Order: sequence, then structure tokens, then C-alpha cells
Amino acid sequence: MSATATFARPSRGLLDFLGAALCLWAAAYHTPVGALVRDLGARLFSAKTNTRPLLAYYTGGVYDAHEVSDPTPLTTPVPDIEVLTTIPPGRALGRGVFASASTLTGDQRATVDALAKRYNLTFATPDDAALVVERARVDLGSEEAAVLAVFAGYDIASYAAHRAGAEGRAMTLEVLSQRLPPSSSKALSSAGTALMLGTAYGLSWPVAPGTRVTSPFGWRNHPTLGRGQLHTGVDLSVPEGTPVKVVADGIVRRASEDAVNGRVVIIDHGRGVSTAYCHNSLLLVSTGQTVRAGDVIAHSGTTGRSTGPHVHYQLELGHKPMDPFAFRGSKPVLIEAPPPPPPTLKPDGTVQLKKAFDQFGPPPATEE
Amino acid sequence: MATSTLGGVSRFFGAFRWAFMPLGLFALIAVGVHAAADVVDDRLLRAVEWLDALFDGLLAQSEHTAAWVNRIDSRERTLIARGIALAWELSVDVFIALPALGYDEVDAVEKKFAMTRETWRTLLQRVNAKPTPMRLIRPVVTAVFSLAGAYAVSRLVESTLFVGLVGDVTSAEVAAPLARIFAGTAMTIVVFSHCWRAVLRAMQHADEATVKSKHPWVEGLWGSALALPLALALILESEALLSFFR
Repeated sequence: MSATATFARPSRGLLDFLGAALCLWAAAYHTPVGALVRDLGARLFSAKTNTRPLLAYYTGGVYDAHEVSDPTPLTTPVPDIEVLTTIPPGRALGRGVFASASTLTGDQRATVDALAKRYNLTFATPDDAALVVERARVDLGSEEAAVLAVFAGYDIASYAAHRAGAEGRAMTLEVLSQRLPPSSSKALSSAGTALMLGTAYGLSWPVAPGTRVTSPFGWRNHPTLGRGQLHTGVDLSVPEGTPVKVVADGIVRRASEDAVNGRVVIIDHGRGVSTAYCHNSLLLVSTGQTVRAGDVIAHSGTTGRSTGPHVHYQLELGHKPMDPFAFRGSKPVLIEAPPPPPPTLKPDGTVQLKKAFDQFGPPPATEE
Repeated sequence: MATSTLGGVSRFFGAFRWAFMPLGLFALIAVGVHAAADVVDDRLLRAVEWLDALFDGLLAQSEHTAAWVNRIDSRERTLIARGIALAWELSVDVFIALPALGYDEVDAVEKKFAMTRETWRTLLQRVNAKPTPMRLIRPVVTAVFSLAGAYAVSRLVESTLFVGLVGDVTSAEVAAPLARIFAGTAMTIVVFSHCWRAVLRAMQHADEATVKSKHPWVEGLWGSALALPLALALILESEALLSFFR
């Protein structure tokens, strides 16, 4: 007896087929299993596929597409004196949005201009971008939705914000991205870059401005190991016991001690940005704690693998270490020759963030 | 005339039910399982970070192991957490979604049409008479994954339609309600064509496995243990379903 012979209501065949087709379509474009099957199919038929990496199918993957293949071109000369203060948050975000938008072409750029036109504004400078984002933020209710509006269009961002709001969720880019189809990935990627850069441009400094840098970001001969290694942060020379301040609002992801970093605090600022403060003598926060910009989170010291009292300050964007000075407006004085060129690295991700930064660069000193 | 044409088309598609129904059920559960894995992945990252800090603290206590401290950076911690989420999701797919491929309109044991009330009644009586973890847990987690899958499908339909329509085709004021109507229709179709069948198939599979097993109480325990936390995570997030009516 065949299955079809026993099918009591053949009139439902079409609806069942539609249901199955919808499920298969969603699975193919919405799950890692679907990606695996599509990849397999593409290999069997020697066809091209646009599947994302399997691990990019999870929340938070929205900031992953912005990995910098080689962060060293972003390093600045060794700074002697850091004299500048923080860029106001709105202007910092405008700078990030402008930098990300500067990499766009064609239709994508037209979407950016359309939003500016909606508010009778232009999009020619970072300050223009800041103004456009602020106007969109007022209308849409969050900075993330406003930045998404710049790259995906107002209506699409408004729709995503409305649906996220209906579900009672915070309007982070991760949540908004779940309300959009896979075809919006390019716009989401640009928005993620803009938010990361904007957050990084808005960070303050963990110790007093003007603090001497004893070891910059980049390749160097390690002082205790005696071999070449990428120095993933900047060493700020301060006396033991100096208050170390957090550079932006965030959540303490780690407050622990080990033989390398000493007493270390890692803060997650959201939007793919995190900072670390190493070699402290005393930690004043604990894991999971919420901190506000300027809070004293530790006292400096020389714990762990260290040759003297200092703060190792590290900035990471999309899980990649970046030079914190690249996001400052200083024009530092060279106190020694630039560090030796690094070994050639194999690119391991897209270069969108790097392109955005390279086209735009650090903020001019006059802005701060 | 139109009715008979539609009936003809329906019969045509119905002839291929043996192929698309099992695949559709598998896909529906897989989408639901992914929605659950996406809920827990952030918590997995926190757990990995906590464990990494704990291990670093332990390794730092000895000069011999101190060199291993800080070997895993934040990117690697994220990859590990997502790798665990992926492995968890694929495992649950194997245990919960894969058996759906064995779906048939004819029940192998009853030799009757699977849709009848009698099949449901028989299976429920067996659960009542000889309850085992597999018989109890599998249908429940499958129901949760199926509903989550149906919601995810409807959300994807809505967003794809809206993004496709808005701008060039029509205004947002028209595209938004149109997309919601289609999403509601899609969810209704999937729920009424697939969700209950997925649960029925889970009951059949659990029943077959339990009957064949020498140790029915431990049969399918791994699959149930892996699926239950994901299903619970989805239940805790179930408020999102209500947004459909907002």
C-alpha cells in the first residue's frame, strides 16, 4: 500500500507542499545545516555558493565580518605625549559612519544619500554624518537602528526596529539583524563597521593624557622573552598605584590574575569593542559588573610578565587587537625609529574595516 | 472548474508527499533547533570566558604551566563558544531532526493512515502505560522546536517580502501589512501541515526505539539530555511569539 494511496484529503497536497517548501527554504538560508548542504551541492555541481562560514550563523556574528587582515598598517608612530581628550559620542559615531560609508559605491552609496536627503541634509563630512544619524536616532529610537538606516535605508531599519520592539528586545545590531533577510548582509556589515569605528573613536584614555608610552602597538622584540612578537596594546608608563579608569561604559568580562597579564581587567563595551588593562597591582571590579566611563577599575602595578610599573592598555575591534592611538587625534612626536616591519600575514577575513579606516584615517588633532 | 483544477494540482503535488514531507519535517525541526542554539550561544561565550579565566588562574600557580596562560585570546574564545553551539546544534539535529526523515503517511506498526485519531490514541496509551524518558521528552522537545521553527519561517517570510517590496514596488505603509499577512499565512500553513506531524513522528520514533530496546529507561537518553536544555531556552524566550500579534 503506497503512501499516496492512503492520503485521505488530496486537496491538502498543495498546502503541504507549500509548507515543506517554506521549511526547506528557511533551513537552507537560515541554519548551518542548510549551509553545509548548499556547500555540498555547490561542490558536487562545481557551482559557486555564497554561504557564510558556519560559525557566522550565531548571534554576534554581525561584527565578525569586519576582521582586519593585518592591523599593522593602522599603527601610528610612537607617541611621546598624548594631549588630547575624547571626541564627543555623537561626533565619534558620525566619524565611524562616515568612515564606513566612504567605502561604499553605487546603489549602496545612494541609500546613504537618500537618508540625508530625507532630512534635507548633506553627507559630505563626518559632522554631516553625525547630524543625519542623530535625526534618524530620534525617529527610530536607537543609535543602532539609526546607523542601520544609513546603510539599509530608513524603511528597512524602521521595520527591523519595530519588530524588535514588538518582541521586547534591546535594539542592538545583533537583534535588528535577526529581523532582516540574508540579502541585507552587506548593509548589516557596513553598519557593524560604522558602529565599531564610532565606538572606538569615542573612547577616552585609561590614565592621564600626556602619559608617556614606553612600548607602542606593533611588532617588537619582547623585553622578557627576547624574541619578536606582536605587542597587542600600548604600555603607558605610570607609577605603581595610579588609578586606572575605564574608557567607556561596559561590562566586566574578566577580572583575574595570571602569570602573563598579572592582575587584568577586560571590559566589553558592546558593538564588537573591548578593552583590556593589564599588570595592575589591585583590581576594584569583579566579573559581570557594569561600569561607567571614567570609573576607576584598578590601580596600576607591575604584576605578571612585566619589567616595571605600567598599564598595558589593549583595544580590540571584532576580536582583533588594534592600535588605540589609531583612533586618537594626536600627532605624536617620534622618540625612536618606527618598529621593524611585521612578517607577512595571511588574510583571514574581510578587509572592510581596514578599508574604511584607510580611506578615512584617524581624526585630525584640531577636532579634539 | 477552478476547484477541479486546484484539486488536480493538489493531487499532483500530493503524489510526491513521500519525498517532500519527510524533508520538510526535518527542515522545520532543524530551523527550530538553530533558533534555540542562537539563544544559548551568548551564554556559552560567557561560560567559556569564565572557564578560561579559571584555567589561567590555575596555570599561573606553577612556573611550569605559566607559559600556557593567555594562550587563548578573545577571538579564539568566541570561536570555541560558537563551535560548541554548532556541535550542540548538529548533535540535536542528529537525535531529533534526523528521525523525521523516517516519516511516512502509513504507520509501520499500525498499518493505518498516520493521521487517524486512533494512531494518536494508541501512542498516547503506550506512553501512559509505559512511560520512559524518551517517550515523554522527545514529543515535547519536538513540539517546542517545531513551533520555534514555524515562527522563524514566518519571520523570514515577512522580512524577505518587506525588503523585496519596499521602495521600488510599493511604500512601507503597504509593504508592512502585506508582509505580515503573508507571514501569518506561512505560519498557519506550517503549523497545520507540519508541526503536529513532527510531534507524531517523534512519538512514533520514540515508541519504536523503546519497544526494541532492552533498556527502555536509558534508551535515547543522550539525545533527550542534549535537546532538553535547548528546548527550555526556547520556552524562556517564548514571549517573542506573542510579538506576532503586536
